Amino acid sequence: MNDLSIPGTQSTPAIAADTNAGVLRMSGESYPENAYELFAPVFEWVEAFLAETDRPLLIELELLYLNTSSIKTVMDVFDLLESAHQRQRDVAVRWYFDQQNERIGELAEEFREDCTFPFHVIGK
Amino acid sequence: MKPDELLALQARIQPLLDDPEHAGHPLREVLGEVWQLLEEHVERLDRLTHLSDSFQAMARDRERGMGQRYERQLRRINRVVRISDHYQRMLRDLNTQLEEASYRDMLTGVDNRRALMSRLQQEVQRSQRQSTGFVVAMVDIDRFKQINDAYGHEIGDLALIEVARALGADLREYDACGRWGGEEFLLLLPFTSLADAHGILQRKLEAIRALEIPGLALTGQHLSISAGLAEHRPGEPLTLTLSRADGALYEAKRQGRDRIACAAEPQ
Repeated sequence: MNDLSIPGTQSTPAIAADTNAGVLRMSGESYPENAYELFAPVFEWVEAFLAETDRPLLIELELLYLNTSSIKTVMDVFDLLESAHQRQRDVAVRWYFDQQNERIGELAEEFREDCTFPFHVIGK
Repeated sequence: MKPDELLALQARIQPLLDDPEHAGHPLREVLGEVWQLLEEHVERLDRLTHLSDSFQAMARDRERGMGQRYERQLRRINRVVRISDHYQRMLRDLNTQLEEASYRDMLTGVDNRRALMSRLQQEVQRSQRQSTGFVVAMVDIDRFKQINDAYGHEIGDLALIEVARALGADLREYDACGRWGGEEFLLLLPFTSLADAHGILQRKLEAIRALEIPGLALTGQHLSISAGLAEHRPGEPLTLTLSRADGALYEAKRQGRDRIACAAEPQ
């Protein structure tokens, strides 16, 4: 499986997946024209990582604005993590936000609901 | 037929069929066939019942599964909607903040030129509808560059803040006061005659002279402003009113500052 490195734009987040480290990072704004197209490689990478390795997976996010289809896609990724967690896999999410913008933190908390795997919302 | 009844019947019929005494009896042959047919039917009925039961169980399971999936999807959609609404609320609030910021002068907190222009245009329209004028006062701090040079930008900024505060104080609800640029301020006075506006500005001049700016006070200096007034006439282009006020301000400066000049009526 390949690493991912998708540079961010004004409307899409920067995406980087490091297979060796077992880390997926996404940061920036996310209101793409086609969220499914943008996030399909991310989804596939997470699925492949969980299927082909048994190493821990960490997802680090620093997302600001998410449009509705991005919200749904991010939830789909969290669902993958949740079912992996049910199979005793070591998975975790760290969602960073600027403490000047508390509402981003509140939104991350809303994403955390229903997730039983370690999910940290971190102000910085 | 219940299994018990069937077994009881079998217990009675089988010995009769097996009994060699009845061999060749015409009823024995018919009874044998009836008994066999009955057994086949019972067996088929059992199979059918079993099949039907399994179908029903399957359908019930599937329905339950779909029900669960439906519930899950519904919950998911509700969450997406809630989070999405939250994001939109956040954006709207940011927009409001941004709009407010875009109409405010950062240093002095009074309206900026954009806000003043918007108010002026509203007043021009109102004046056209109601055939009433309004007065524009162009105000400039006297010798501001010298204050900045002699006492530094911090004192200069403080002077701007204090002048803005004094100019904006005690205005009527429908008046506007803002920073036009640099050390220049603009007062918009609707429903006001030129003579009344002159009186208002005269009090502003006095208030500015009485301001105590640290640094300036030490050297016995005080701030002063000059003002140029122009009354907007219904139908007059806004730019003309503003340039007449500018001209009057220039006249006040030329006459020695710390005073008010009024623009003549437009030709």
